[in-house]
Amino acid sequence: MSETFECGDTGALVAYMYEECEPEIREVIATHLKRCEACSSEIDGLSWTRGRLQAWVPPMPELRFQMSVPAPEPRLPWWRAPLPAWAQAVAALLIFGVGLSVGLARRPPTVPSQASSSQPAAVTIDTASQTDLSDLEQRLRAEMAQMRSTAATPVRQVSASDDDIMKKVEALVAQSEERQRREFTLRSVEMAREFETQRRIDMATVRETVGQFQGAAGTEIRQQREAIDRINNFIRVSQQAR
Amino acid sequence: MTRTDEELVARSRSGDVDSFNQLIVRWERPIFALAYRVLGREEDARDVCQDTFLRAYRALPGFKGQAKFSSWLYRIALNLCRDWIRRQQRAPVSQMPEDVDPAALLAETEPAESIEDLVARRELSAIVADAMRSLSEEQRTAIILKEYHGMTFQEIADMQGCPLSTVKTRLYQGLSQLRRQLERRGQGMPQLVKRT
Repeated sequence: MSETFECGDTGALVAYMYEECEPEIREVIATHLKRCEACSSEIDGLSWTRGRLQAWVPPMPELRFQMSVPAPEPRLPWWRAPLPAWAQAVAALLIFGVGLSVGLARRPPTVPSQASSSQPAAVTIDTASQTDLSDLEQRLRAEMAQMRSTAATPVRQVSASDDDIMKKVEALVAQSEERQRREFTLRSVEMAREFETQRRIDMATVRETVGQFQGAAGTEIRQQREAIDRINNFIRVSQQAR
Repeated sequence: MTRTDEELVARSRSGDVDSFNQLIVRWERPIFALAYRVLGREEDARDVCQDTFLRAYRALPGFKGQAKFSSWLYRIALNLCRDWIRRQQRAPVSQMPEDVDPAALLAETEPAESIEDLVARRELSAIVADAMRSLSEEQRTAIILKEYHGMTFQEIADMQGCPLSTVKTRLYQGLSQLRRQLERRGQGMPQLVKRT
């Protein structure tokens, strides 16, 4: 900054007022202000305005801003972490595919169409399944008969202690429970077999009914064709007669 | 123990949110006051103030300490004020309640200040705020930064992106304009009368 000051240099006056000028210049301006009424008046006016500005007080509301960062989620082990969407989709497709292939593999063979036959369709039963059920039923019946005979054996009257009696009672209770379990299983097997048999009979009946409908329709068509042929013959004969 | 801004900034940059909250407590009032004087509306000033700290927190990794933290914060606040004014496309309006609540006045009364003095002070505050509206945004900002935030000419020049001489000119022209506006509103400077 130059050490000279020209009268009316507003920038220098502002710097003087805010005490932001070099000490040498400050001395020069202070000397000038003592003899220059215009510059002195300018400084007084600016200072007075600055004084007025101090009356402008902003409101003081309660601000209390605060930065809050959400706590990071605890890191789960890899085997507990949720799978990404693509992995879930692949897993779903895999399960669906396996289920589909198992279902196709266990599907019973299709019965050949016997729609034109007037005889009722033969009831074809899954031999392996039916045999299994019969074997299971026979085995259960044999075991139950054996249990009944065992339970019917009279208990020898001996002078037994309380512990012996308790053991016998527990054994009887266990036998009873076992028998009930086997009877329940037997009933379940019987119901399953009856259900399967009934299902197959119903299917055969449905096929037979459909065949009868188709047969009746064929007969009707044949009769209609014969009638048409007769009408055609009649028309032809009458034309020849003319 | 009171930590300096630089220490708190360093801690904040390493992820210490509490340190940044201490900076907020330290600077929220000056930033609010700046925004209020530039924008003239309390709600807008509050929003800008909040936004300033939010932006500062996000930009903290890029703050290398080349300037004072407070200057950096003021710069963010002023940029937001400028955006706000441009977006709103309206002149800043000073918010002064028309009806005065005596209870609120009593609560504001300084010690040894009467109700009359307080009312006069508030009236003058409203007049000054109104007169400041007549200044350009640059003049108003320069005066606010100088008078209420004690910045040097160089800091204001950096803040406003202009030469030092322009800052002085804005201050001089702004104060002169303000003086005329105050005189027009019946707040003229008392004149010295020569004794005869």
